[in-house]
Amino acid sequence: TVRPKNEVEQKQLCAFGEYVAEILPKYIQQVQVTCFNELELLIHPDGIIPVLTFLRDHTNAQFKSLADLTAVDVPSRQYRFEIVYNLLSLRFNSRIRVKTYTDELTPIDSAVPVHKAANWYEREVWDMYGVFFANHPDLRRILTDYGFEGHPFRKDFPLSGYVEV
Amino acid sequence: MFMLSLQTTGLVGLAVAENPHERLRILYTKILSILENIPKDAAYRKYTEQIVNERFDLVKKESDVQKLQDKLNSGQIEEVIVQAENELSLARKMIQWKPWEPLVEEPPSNQWRWPI
Repeated sequence: TVRPKNEVEQKQLCAFGEYVAEILPKYIQQVQVTCFNELELLIHPDGIIPVLTFLRDHTNAQFKSLADLTAVDVPSRQYRFEIVYNLLSLRFNSRIRVKTYTDELTPIDSAVPVHKAANWYEREVWDMYGVFFANHPDLRRILTDYGFEGHPFRKDFPLSGYVEV
Repeated sequence: MFMLSLQTTGLVGLAVAENPHERLRILYTKILSILENIPKDAAYRKYTEQIVNERFDLVKKESDVQKLQDKLNSGQIEEVIVQAENELSLARKMIQWKPWEPLVEEPPSNQWRWPI
């Protein structure tokens, strides 16, 4: 069976996406709504803190909850890492995804001043991918072993690692 | 929220606000005065002024707290006050960031293509 299409929600999300894109044209490069009714904002990396603060504080978009902060590694691109923020609005019961890009050497502004929850998520992204977060209060390894070298989730890191256990 | 001398919002950490109309009036006037510093054609200024004026009119007309909460349809009055404070701090930061300017930098052409 196929999930039934929810046209009303699709239209509402499209309208909201256009609303945000109209207010923040300096940072938003693209807005898309997936067929499963998920709204995504594609951002320039300079605009992380303005966009996240806007989504948290504005009355029409009270996305107070940071549900997830991850990265995606696509080695063939010039900016290989795509950082993904998933936000949830409790007032309006809706979710939104914010995506940025960076490469191995460019730091990205930390989201910790905006959402305290981003602390450990950013430590995990640093540990697993090697994306440096500027102004993070305590950026150190969180999941790998103490003397571990390398960033395991990168696509060029082998499945069984470099060290024999 | 019951109208006895022992009141509670039911939310952890949010104290009951005495004289919420006054507080909201002050906050909304502050927001509107800060929005004057943004260029008139910016979408943020237009939409925020619309929201603030709507809420301000409702606050001016309705003097009963319970009915005001129902009309605003946005949770408790204390939550509305917190939201207004957030909007105020956001307006101050928007003046520094100026997000109404055109796009900072275009992405590389294959950046957002999916599937690769």
